[in-house]
Order: sequence, then structure tokens, then C-alpha cells
Amino acid sequence: MKIIKDKVAKLSFVALLITMTAAMFYAPTASAHGEKSQAAFMRMRTIHWFDLNWSKEEVAINDTMTISGKFLVFAGWPETVDKPEVSFLNVGIPGPVFIRAGSWIGGQLVPRSVSLELGEVYEFKVLLKARRPGDWHVHSMMNVKGGGPIIGPGKWVTITGSMSDFVNPVTTLTGQTINLENYSLDNVYFWHALWYAIGLAWMVYWVRKPLFVPRHIAVSSGKGETLITPTDKKAGLIVGVGTLVLVAASMASTNEKYPVTTPLQAGLLRGMKTYQMPEATVAVKVDDATYRVPGRAMQMTLTITNNGDSPVRLGEFNTAGVRFLDPAVHVDETGYPDDLLAEEGLSVSDNSPLAPGESRTVEVTASDAAWEVYRLADLIYDPDSRFAGLLFFWDANGNRQLVTVDAPLIPTFI
Amino acid sequence: MSASQSAVRSRAEAVQVSRTFDWMILFTLFCAVLGGYHIHYMLTGGDWDFWTDWKDRRLWVTVAPIVSITFPAAVQACLWWRYKLPLGATLSVLALMLGEWINRYMNFWGWTYFPVNICFPSNLIPGALVLDVVLLLGNSMTLTAVVGGMAYGLLFYPGNWPIIAPLHVPVEYNGMMMTLADLQGYHYVRTGTPEYIRMVEKGTLRTFGKDVAPVSAFFSAFVSIIIYFLWHFFGRWFSKTDFISDDAT
Repeated sequence: MKIIKDKVAKLSFVALLITMTAAMFYAPTASAHGEKSQAAFMRMRTIHWFDLNWSKEEVAINDTMTISGKFLVFAGWPETVDKPEVSFLNVGIPGPVFIRAGSWIGGQLVPRSVSLELGEVYEFKVLLKARRPGDWHVHSMMNVKGGGPIIGPGKWVTITGSMSDFVNPVTTLTGQTINLENYSLDNVYFWHALWYAIGLAWMVYWVRKPLFVPRHIAVSSGKGETLITPTDKKAGLIVGVGTLVLVAASMASTNEKYPVTTPLQAGLLRGMKTYQMPEATVAVKVDDATYRVPGRAMQMTLTITNNGDSPVRLGEFNTAGVRFLDPAVHVDETGYPDDLLAEEGLSVSDNSPLAPGESRTVEVTASDAAWEVYRLADLIYDPDSRFAGLLFFWDANGNRQLVTVDAPLIPTFI
Repeated sequence: MSASQSAVRSRAEAVQVSRTFDWMILFTLFCAVLGGYHIHYMLTGGDWDFWTDWKDRRLWVTVAPIVSITFPAAVQACLWWRYKLPLGATLSVLALMLGEWINRYMNFWGWTYFPVNICFPSNLIPGALVLDVVLLLGNSMTLTAVVGGMAYGLLFYPGNWPIIAPLHVPVEYNGMMMTLADLQGYHYVRTGTPEYIRMVEKGTLRTFGKDVAPVSAFFSAFVSIIIYFLWHFFGRWFSKTDFISDDAT
């Protein structure tokens, strides 16, 4: 019996080792950023990204591309998320595969945090310089203090070339042009190696003598003082004084070598320039909204009133970066990511032009697998089951109006 | 061989076994301190030690010595109290810095490709050496706490200045002035570390103007003294041998 047990134990151990070894051969690249895991209400009711454009889908090392567009800071910002009073325009990429060569909101460079106003639209642009080859999912992103990262739509971009060719030249105010990619690296290694060597020398001085057992016996028997010799004290004095001299001398020589240095820069940028959208003349009232779980479709009953002077039609519903279009009204030609674009995902019970002064109640259905794929359907499990989004109306001349909607959502399971 | 007989048969063999024992304990101690101290320092010092655009004149200078004098104090207490070995601080800091360098090179650069010149660790060795030397020469834990702890806090900034000064050279970038360290933080994208998380250049030391680093260092040094005392007692407590019966010692 014991032999069988031993054999089972041995075979189990071998099987475990084989499994662990095999697992090492399967290590897929982690490409995304958990954007689908972010609570649906966060993506639907905080920052609405629209008019996004990724300037390139393939870019060589050292070349640049931009992500540009607009974002609406939603007026119905959820109570459970801190207001965007301290925010930072970021990009969602897997580490520094690009460097952020520049980022602007309303034309102003924003290397620092900014304060955003609820209900306002801002125009932004991020300039990226390719650094590491591969296929990367590149997102727009807004970090909000107390709210966390609010990730926008992402698109796959391919970087070609070799990372060893990457350079990041910068000219300082002292007139020196450096490559920030490896600037001062030798200096870092030198000082760390020097001090580590001095520390090791101090260790070696002591560990070359008998250490634990004899010393413990001596200390326990009251002879601990005999363990420290005058030579030890001289060595300690040399190391102590040497350390102070080296610190002082290296600091002095550094100040001489770099006479112009400044403190780190930090601060909050306020009063960011907003983008003025054309005044909306269409009013929308949400009578009710339901999400049909089996059909992956959201249905809204909307009462739309046209207070303008030209007929309009509903062409797009945009929520959490997913765009549902009525192709009879609007066709996307910007190269928007396929997985976020439901080109025929919007149907309206009566989408004939709504005449000036006319009011009409319509059934609007936004249906696409994206509800499930992007886990927006999980909204029904959120503590505040409200949905929100942008409705875009067009007139015959191609003029566009933006109207926001924000209402409770009732799930139906049959 | 009965339990009362010695495991060694000669003095030479006893010395050899004792030496082997030395290396085993030293190696184990080094690795244990490396792991524990590293976790502690990353949790308490964290981003201040990770990134050059966090290494400022106020909070980095204040926080780093206070949270890093802990293990040196504890290990010193153990090694001095039990063995009269004045190398606890240096051993701790060398272990920490080896762990940090492995982490920064293998993880920060090797996995996520942050250049090493943005994520190198702070230099803690000068302060550790002085702590050990004060203990050796003074033979007093109190003196080591007061003089050594003070020196540990005061030496931190000048001990790091030769490494970080080149990154504090100013640059004009798209109409704004920033340091090269700021520019590193801006260029090399950290999706989970937005700019507002940085705790730099905050505080109420504005009246000291550009000479704020020495003031921060003195404050850090005073608190380091207190933390030294506290962790010294942790070290003494952990190096007790109460679990061994008296007749076995």
C-alpha cells in the first residue's frame, strides 16, 4: 500500500512539474487594458468621447501619430464618482510603447492636471511618437481624481521597426541637446555601483571574521566588548569620514557641473477653453427606456421636438464609445474601430424628417452584440441603473446637432 | 553517537562548521531582509522611489529616510545586541538595493520598457554606512539613534543629488518650462499613474523659497530618530530567543 502511495505522490509531483513547465510555453501578450471591465455606468455617464480620429493605423519607430476629437463632460455625472475637478488627459496604452510627445485641450498644452466643467465640450489632441514595435490598442483616456481612469474607445495601431532605433532628442534651456531615452544613464550606474562597492567593502571587512556562533558565545559570556578591536574602530572612522567627504565632494562637484537646475514642476490648470457646439434646436424627452437582455437591444421611447428652422433626422446614438448608426441618415467614413461601430444598429420607428415645429414620439432601438461584448448590458447590475448617451441629428444640409439623454433603464428578461 | 556527544570531532572541524553556519545564516538573513524590506519600502516609499518626477525637494526628501530607516534599525539591534556586529544597516540597505535594482531592471525595463534613467532607486547607502559607524564607535543604541538617525536623514538628499541633478536641468517644451524629470514623466506614459497622483512640491515651507531641501532634510532627520527608536525595539523583540529553553542555550 505504501509503495502505491509513494508512486502516486511521485507521479503527481511529476505531473505538476510538467503542467507548470507547459504553462510557461503559453504566455500570450496582454494587449488590452480592462476597458470592458469598467463599470458600464462609468463609461456611459462620465466622459463621452466623440469625433475621434486616429491619424494612422501603422506607424514606424520615431514617427508620430495623433488621437484627436472631442469629449463631453456629462452634466449628469454620477454621485458615486468624484467630479472631474482634478483630471488628467491620458492615453490608454500598454506602457510606454509610444511616448506622449504632446497633449492639448482646447489648444493648450496639458502636461499637468486640469479642472473640467460639467456639461462642457472640450476639443483634445494627443501626439504620440512610436517607440516599441508591436500591435497596440490605443485608447483615449481621462484620469479623474477620486474617479479613476475613464477609458475611451480604442483602436489597434501597428508600430514597425526596431526599438533600438528609437531616439528622444530634447534641447535643454542650457543649450545642450540630449537623448532622453538614455540620458545620464552612465551617471546613474556609476554612482550606484560606487556606493554599492563601498557598502560591500564594509560588509567584507566584517564577514571575513568568524561571525555568529563565536561572537554569540562571547557576547553571552559577557566578553562582547573584546570583539571590537582598535583596528575595527579605525576602519569605522575611515569609512565614516570617507562617506561624509565623498558625499560633500560629490555634491559640490555636481553643483559645479550643473549650475542651473530647477525644482519639479507641478500644479493644476484651470479655465480650460471649451468647444462651442452649435446650439441644439431639437429637444428630446425620454418617455421610457428598456434593455431587452435576450435581444441585446436597448429600446427608448423618445418624444422629439424640432424647434429649429430645418427638418432633422436622428442618425446616431453614441454611448460609452459605441456608436449605433442609422445608415439612411449617417454613414461613418472616419475609420472608427469596427467593434465599436454598429453601422446599422439604430432603428427608429418613424425616421422621416421631423419638420420645424413638429413634435413626434418614436420608438428607437439600439441593437448590437457590442452591448454584450463591451459589457454595457451589465448596467442592469449597477447600483444606479440609469443610462446616458449622445443623440446626433442631421438636417438635409449635413448640419449636425448634439443632444444628451439621461434616464432610468428597465431591464426585460423575456 | 548519543545526543550528548558533539557533532564535530576536532577544533578545526568545529571552526569549519561554524564558518559554514556563518555563510548560511548570512545568506538567509540577506534574502529575508531583501524580501521584507523591499515590500515594506515599496508600500511606504513606493512611487517616490520609483520615478524621477517624484524625487522632489520636499516630500521625497522627507518620506524616503523616515520609511527606510526601519529595517536598518531593527537589524542593527539584533546584530549588535547579540553579536556585536556593526553591519546591520549596511546589510539591510545593500539587500534592499539589490532587490530594487533587480525589480527596476527586470520589471520596469525588461517587462514594461520604462528607461532605467526614469525608474532607478534612491541611494540609501551613505546613511546606512554612517549608522553602522556611529554604532561601532559609540557602542550606544541611543547615540546611534540620535546622531546616526540624524545623519541618515541629512545625508539622503546630498547622497542622491549627484544622481538626480542632471535630470533637474530645465527645458522649454511647447511653451512651458519643466525639468527633464518632469518631461520623462510626461513622455513615458503611465496609464495608472496620472499627473495628479504625484505628491511633489506640496507643503507649507514656502517661506524658505529655493532652500527648502535642507529644511525638509532636517525634519526628516528628526522623525528618523524617532522611527529608529521604534524599530530598534522591534528588532530587539524579534531577536529574542524565548522559544529556546534555558538549558539548551
